[in-house]
Amino acid sequence: MLQLDDVTFRYPRASRNALSGVSLDVGHGQFHAVLGPNGSGKTTLVRVALGAVAPLVGRADVDGRAAVSWSKQELARRIGVVPQREDNLFPQRVRETVLLGRYPHLSLWGRERSEDRDAVDRALAACDVAHLADRWVWTLSGGEYQRVRVARALAQAPQLLVLDEPSMSLDLRHAMELFELVRGLVAQQGLGVLMITHDLNLAARFADAVLLLENGRAIAAGAPVDVLTQETVAAVFSWPVAIQMIEGRPQMLPLRKPKESRP
Amino acid sequence: MLRRLPVALLVLFACHTTARPPDGPPARRIVSLLPSFTEILFAIGAGDRVVGRTQWCDYPPAAVQVPSVGEALPPNIEAVAAKKPDLVVLYNAGPNVTAAKQLERIGIRTVLIDMNRLEDVAPAARTLGRLTGFEPQADSLAHAMDRILDEPRPTPTTTLAFVVWDNPPIVIGRGSYLDELATHAGASNVFHDVSAPSAQVSLETIVARDPAWIAVLSDSGTPPAFAKRREWRAVRAVREGHFLLLRGSLFGRPSPRSGEAIRQFRALLAR
Amino acid sequence: MKWTLLIVLSVAALIASVMLGPAAVPLADLLHSDIVWDLRMPRALLAFLVGGSLGVAGAGLQALVRNPLADPFLLGLSGGAGLGAVLAIALHLPGPWALPLAAFAGALAALALVYRLGLIGGAALDPRILLLGGVAVGAFAAAITTAIVSLADAAELRNAFLWLWGGLSGASWDAVLLIAVYAPIPLLVLLAAARPLDLLALGEEPASYLGADVEAVKRRVYLAASLLTAAAVAVSGVIGFVGLVVPHIARLTWGHRHRALLPAAFLGGGALLAIADTLARMVVAPRELPVGVVTALIGVPVFAFLLRRWTIA
Repeated sequence: MLQLDDVTFRYPRASRNALSGVSLDVGHGQFHAVLGPNGSGKTTLVRVALGAVAPLVGRADVDGRAAVSWSKQELARRIGVVPQREDNLFPQRVRETVLLGRYPHLSLWGRERSEDRDAVDRALAACDVAHLADRWVWTLSGGEYQRVRVARALAQAPQLLVLDEPSMSLDLRHAMELFELVRGLVAQQGLGVLMITHDLNLAARFADAVLLLENGRAIAAGAPVDVLTQETVAAVFSWPVAIQMIEGRPQMLPLRKPKESRP
Repeated sequence: MLRRLPVALLVLFACHTTARPPDGPPARRIVSLLPSFTEILFAIGAGDRVVGRTQWCDYPPAAVQVPSVGEALPPNIEAVAAKKPDLVVLYNAGPNVTAAKQLERIGIRTVLIDMNRLEDVAPAARTLGRLTGFEPQADSLAHAMDRILDEPRPTPTTTLAFVVWDNPPIVIGRGSYLDELATHAGASNVFHDVSAPSAQVSLETIVARDPAWIAVLSDSGTPPAFAKRREWRAVRAVREGHFLLLRGSLFGRPSPRSGEAIRQFRALLAR
Repeated sequence: MKWTLLIVLSVAALIASVMLGPAAVPLADLLHSDIVWDLRMPRALLAFLVGGSLGVAGAGLQALVRNPLADPFLLGLSGGAGLGAVLAIALHLPGPWALPLAAFAGALAALALVYRLGLIGGAALDPRILLLGGVAVGAFAAAITTAIVSLADAAELRNAFLWLWGGLSGASWDAVLLIAVYAPIPLLVLLAAARPLDLLALGEEPASYLGADVEAVKRRVYLAASLLTAAAVAVSGVIGFVGLVVPHIARLTWGHRHRALLPAAFLGGGALLAIADTLARMVVAPRELPVGVVTALIGVPVFAFLLRRWTIA
């Protein structure tokens, strides 16, 4: 579905490349996580992949065609994006805000059809927020709101979900629930998922493949156990870690620095 | 105590209508800051003492020879002072009160005079006569104005409305000098019930009150632009072209020529 | 049900505007009266069209600049129109259409200037820049206008300010025809942008991921709303509060979906201005209040009430 081939990109008037020679391949039923320190190019990668900007070198395709050549509406029918931030100007109910996910499928003057309402119901159910359908969005907790946003992306009936730091301000339980939700969608509906996250451990637990970026370069890509080794993580994140395996997945434990070098 | 209040207010009001003219020798270098005052000064024979006028002072022809000091409300203090006047005559209104104080501060004698209605001409003439030493001429002018005022008002033979602006429609009410002119000329202002000098009204009110004439101040002699507008043609007088085109210089202000204005007005109505 | 009420209200407002007025027209003569056909009917229709245009333009602009306190006149259009009108009078431009055309041209000039400001540095019509640019351009135009007024013949220009305060006294069938032919296009453009505007309320990035061509939508909405406002100013001066308050009142009942909100704002704005104009004609008869004063007197308490509800919520 998403194919990035040796992509290099630099923002206008920037002094260095935001991405250098990065490749990525996300298909159906695959959960990819993009990891890396701040400023490593994760968000830029998603922008290039979705055609918001064009690569200087290399190709960024969606379903075999250049991402920039797709119209916004066509893309929205295939890919559901949950960006980091949204700023809802006017108060809305949950059902109304999820319905916005159907807009890419609506004709200019046509009304919402029963199939649209059904898609909304299915999305609400899949994200376990059906019981919140008539609540005002501002009354929801952070975790509930995040699941509603995923429901909206699901209402688009996409083949691919892209999430940008979805668990950032969620507590332990809600973060776990979100990752379980995403994992479940991949397993049950065969969705492809591309997720940017800072949460190394949850990515390692739930993702099928991991891409580790540093300064715009791909340091390593592949199964979490292969990519997230003690040496690699310590080098890329500039902090010593110990690795512990849980259910076959590496979990990183940051170590405290020796007494002498502490401030 | 409460009964004394209206009297006290009246006295206060009277004191403020015209400042007491200062005593002193007759003025020899006068700047006149209102066309009406310029006309009065020339009419009482003090014309050659006028050393400055506003750009709007256009009568008599001799007045146009006098150099202009620009705008009147408020006046350009420096331009006025440059004429080295010993008297400046101002129209009694807000911005001019401040200007008068400024002139007094630099040692120039000023006087603020009302000039809103017909009955203001006589007192103004008397004041200016006293200040210039032309009392006899001023008194005879004042008497002439008083005679006009004393004449019985003719019974109105026709109706009119004065339109000063078309969008939005602004008409003259009974607080204005123009309404007085109309009354003396034998026409009844359909908006005499409006006490203000001017007011915005709905066009349909003008149509409903159906004045026989529409009077406008105009120097061009051609019907006003709004006569062609579709919505104005609902007014019968506009449809029939019954316009009274009144020259601003003669009809627009109270002056020694008001009697002549009334006569010409009557003649226009008789057509 | 609510649509029925709104339509009934709109029709009632129109009928009241035609039946009521400072000139007493007996019911029996209503259909034959010149006053009714030549003056009240075009005036009522114009009030409705202008009020409706301002309501829709206001709703669109509030979504565009992401600010519920936006009013169509926030973008410098009233300043530009005022300058155009004053220039037309000061230069004694001939013809009965000189003033409206000059006001329209002035509004367009302000529109172009603010648009250009909004594009500076690749800002791509950033809402904050639009708002600030609008305030700046409006203030600039107002300053020049004041300078002209202070230098020229005071009486005529004072009357120009009365025109600017907003009035439908210039209403004629010509003006109605003009607006009736001109307004549908920008109105349709705004209506077509209804769904993208819903998306825009989430933010520009989320909106584009949900299929909206954000740059194109912003351009179209800005131009359409501004053109509607410019035409409204040209025929009836600056009538404030309609574009600000009507969308909010409509949102209370119809919510935020623009497919319903925009038509509701049109009918609501039309009804409001027709009623305000009737009051302006009747309340101090035979004198007439500038309608912009009446809409402010109605609009401000309504707005304060809405603000309380908003902050409580």
